[in-house]
Amino acid sequence: MEEVEVGVFLSDCGKQLSKILDFNALTNYVEKISNVTLVKRDSEFWRGEGLQTIVDAVTSGKINRIVVAESLPKLSEVNIVQAVENAGLNPYLVEVIDLKDHCAWPHRETPREATEKAKAMLVAAIERAKLLEPIEKLEFPALKSALVIGGGIAGMQAAVDLADLGFKVNLVEKAPFLGGLAARAGRFFPTDDCAICIQSPASDVKTITHTSRKCVYRSGFSEIPNLNILTNSKVTDVEGGPGNYKVTIEKRPRYVNELKCVRCDLCTPVCPVEVPDEYNAKLKTRKAIYMNIPNVHPPVYVIDDSVCKFRGCAKCVEACPTDAIELDQKSEQVTLNVGSIIVATGFQEFDSSIIKEYHYGDYSDIITHLELARMIDGFGPTGSVIIRPSNRKPAKKIVMIQCVGSRDRRWNAYCSGICCMISLKHAMLVKTAYPNADVTICYIDIRTTGREHERYYERAREMGIKFVKGRPTEILRDPKTNKLIVDVEDALLKRFLELEADLVVLASAMMPAEGTGELAEILGLELDEDGFFKEYNAKLRPTETKLRGIYLCGGATFPKDAPTTSLHAHSAAMKAAKFLTTGKIVKDQRTAIINEEYCGDCEFCPVTCPYGAISLVPTTEEHFVAQVSDLLCEGCGVCVGTCPLNAIELRHSRPNQMLVQMKALMSVNGTSKPLVLAICCSECGHTAVDSSGMAMMQYPANVRVMKVPCTGILQVHQFLEAFKAGAQGVMVVACKSDGCHYEVGSQKAETKVELARTLLKEYGIEPERLVMFGMVFIEGDKFAEAAHVMTERLAKLGPLQMKGEA
Amino acid sequence: MKHGKEEKTTVLSFSNPVKSRLGGETITRCYQCGTCASSCPVAKINPQFNPREIIKLSLLGEEAEVISSDAVWLCCSCYNCQERCPQKVEIADVIYALRNIAFEEQHSPDIYLEFASALMNNGRLIPISKFLEKKRPDYGLPPLQPTGVEALKKILSAIGLGGQSQKEEAK
Repeated sequence: MEEVEVGVFLSDCGKQLSKILDFNALTNYVEKISNVTLVKRDSEFWRGEGLQTIVDAVTSGKINRIVVAESLPKLSEVNIVQAVENAGLNPYLVEVIDLKDHCAWPHRETPREATEKAKAMLVAAIERAKLLEPIEKLEFPALKSALVIGGGIAGMQAAVDLADLGFKVNLVEKAPFLGGLAARAGRFFPTDDCAICIQSPASDVKTITHTSRKCVYRSGFSEIPNLNILTNSKVTDVEGGPGNYKVTIEKRPRYVNELKCVRCDLCTPVCPVEVPDEYNAKLKTRKAIYMNIPNVHPPVYVIDDSVCKFRGCAKCVEACPTDAIELDQKSEQVTLNVGSIIVATGFQEFDSSIIKEYHYGDYSDIITHLELARMIDGFGPTGSVIIRPSNRKPAKKIVMIQCVGSRDRRWNAYCSGICCMISLKHAMLVKTAYPNADVTICYIDIRTTGREHERYYERAREMGIKFVKGRPTEILRDPKTNKLIVDVEDALLKRFLELEADLVVLASAMMPAEGTGELAEILGLELDEDGFFKEYNAKLRPTETKLRGIYLCGGATFPKDAPTTSLHAHSAAMKAAKFLTTGKIVKDQRTAIINEEYCGDCEFCPVTCPYGAISLVPTTEEHFVAQVSDLLCEGCGVCVGTCPLNAIELRHSRPNQMLVQMKALMSVNGTSKPLVLAICCSECGHTAVDSSGMAMMQYPANVRVMKVPCTGILQVHQFLEAFKAGAQGVMVVACKSDGCHYEVGSQKAETKVELARTLLKEYGIEPERLVMFGMVFIEGDKFAEAAHVMTERLAKLGPLQMKGEA
Repeated sequence: MKHGKEEKTTVLSFSNPVKSRLGGETITRCYQCGTCASSCPVAKINPQFNPREIIKLSLLGEEAEVISSDAVWLCCSCYNCQERCPQKVEIADVIYALRNIAFEEQHSPDIYLEFASALMNNGRLIPISKFLEKKRPDYGLPPLQPTGVEALKKILSAIGLGGQSQKEEAK
């Protein structure tokens, strides 16, 4: 094996650090450590001449491990590692530490102690560097194709984006027609134009302009060369992983040949089967062969096989001039191979009949906004006339009720967010068509938070729409007049009102679309507490999921209006494109590795892994061993912390690497205070330490910081090892438990710490010597304070005495 | 940010004690939608009582106004409001919590005190005359049993009712 030769590069930050740290002492100290063959000091090493020094040492073959003490390592490390890699050394053989923010600045008032701590930090880095091993970069092929699930405006827009960029796109829609809720809603706020338009695809060469938007049916959407549209279809299974998903789709029969149908409408008049048209709020009937509205896509009839008499009738077959009707069509299974998946399954209206006191479903003159939208739509069942369904006479007095089933802890605790604007839109559309109509909106709070939305509310007031602040307790019906009575308190006037109405419109909550849970299971995605798809990070990665290659957009994550849905769809498409564009996934092997000899098929790690990266595979001896997917593994080490048999290690953070670091940090004290080991996660925990140093907050130099990928990696025995190595106290500094970058790491660590504290008592160690903290970057003050408190506490407790030790 | 000692805020000075009491836990969920008021059979005939208003005043810290008025005693405990509240505020129970506070602060309508002292003295809310007692065998009813008033007194004074009824007697 090649001899380990460590080069140590000490930056004094333009002599700033040498005012505090004794660099001569440090250099002398480091030079004496075994395997250190080169020690250099300069004002900086992360760029310019300093960096060249490192590169030269690497190129000349003098060193094969590198330790750099540089300020702002999280920034400088990027440059150093890149240069080292270019110079031909594996970049994972570099260890960068921060003598400024982790030592000189926070201990500037005790320079001598700071120098001693710096020695310990350097030894720790050198000892770790000696044990570092090269880590390879892996490449996984990725198919340059995508699956978009859901053909509403979110799915369609994402599909257009990806198709325009040249990816092969498959769009799967459960219903027989595209358009989703948008097609039913008819019009959208705040522009009041029709809902069913999308951006023009780039392939539509004739009329494309950069501002162009068009109805789906005339946009050329269906003619995009690399777009495959599957309506009446459902995803039933997904196998494989990022870049290579194998998707099984069940395509239900349409019974009408999409290529032959010319939409002549000779079939519907001859069809003898007539059923209520659910799509059109049951305000009209439709035949067994039908289209929802004339402007849908695909412009092809469909046969409702739950009511069609098929061969017993077949009148449509006779009537069809193009032989398009194929009653023998069967369900088929379609298999697609795609690199990425976008989930755009949207949302649906809450079933308001659950709220008994509102009598939705009991009284036909109580409808929802989606049903009212059908009346407003010129293509709708009433031809834009607002009627009372009970007698089909015009409705003159209309009462709208907000928050039906939302902001309601009994059903959906959240605010659906878009219903206020929907009510305002419908109230104004009704009022515009019928200026004498009496429209009242009963509300709890009117929420008009988007651009132009408040102006919309103002316009509604200008038009004479009435607002009552109060949530009605009940909707009654006068049996004599058949009129509805809305029982409500106007809370502002403190007056009880009985509003008479021809028509009551409920702003029903918006809920996750039907089948959301089932699809989540198929894809391995999580749902939030309200049942919507959960994004990876609500703040920064709103369209990503924790699974690489699977993205979310539109109402699938929460009810959204059209502008937000578009934004979301474009974002998801962008993320998918970024993922697919190179046709490969490049990922280093900073992953977990299983020692199969120790692995005892306990199933702990596959269950614990937040990324589903571990599976159990059978071995010849009829038992199972864990297997890690290098593609899925994010290298957090939560599995390491969970394994009861020490059968898992991380390639970049092996137990022996951690142990030597621990021992080295405790090897030099130099202060009169008890040594404290602060084990910090490399995410928020470690940056909190950075920020305390950056702000020059002072804490005692007996506190030594050790970085681990995630505190989830820690095992109970490691706390004992820390005490054995000389720590008088141990702090575990992690991300806040609900903000762990690896989801569960902090929570796992909390459990370990609790367990270790119980165990410590057995060893005669006071449990308060081990404390866990959750911190974010900006909480440097919290770290400094915790370091003080810990030091004082240890001083009070006195020296550590372990049972059984003399 | 330094985490100073918790300061008492004037706004929450009353909702906190209500919240920490049995029945009052859910009060801060209220967002004043008025479902309770329009559900309330009392509010519709008596403008003195409005459950939404009582909760609003409590949340704003208007303790004196809430506990010294007769309003909290007008609730008929039909639980309509509680059944329909979208925030699952236990409105009728909140009102019980408010009544308990009012009682402790010695604000309660006289009729309640009369009930209390009757209970304290006889172990019964309504006194039974000798005449009625003699009539019982005619209706096939067994003779009245002793009420165990001594034990009751102990219990009632343990929950702080003793003082109130004695005060009533002193009147």
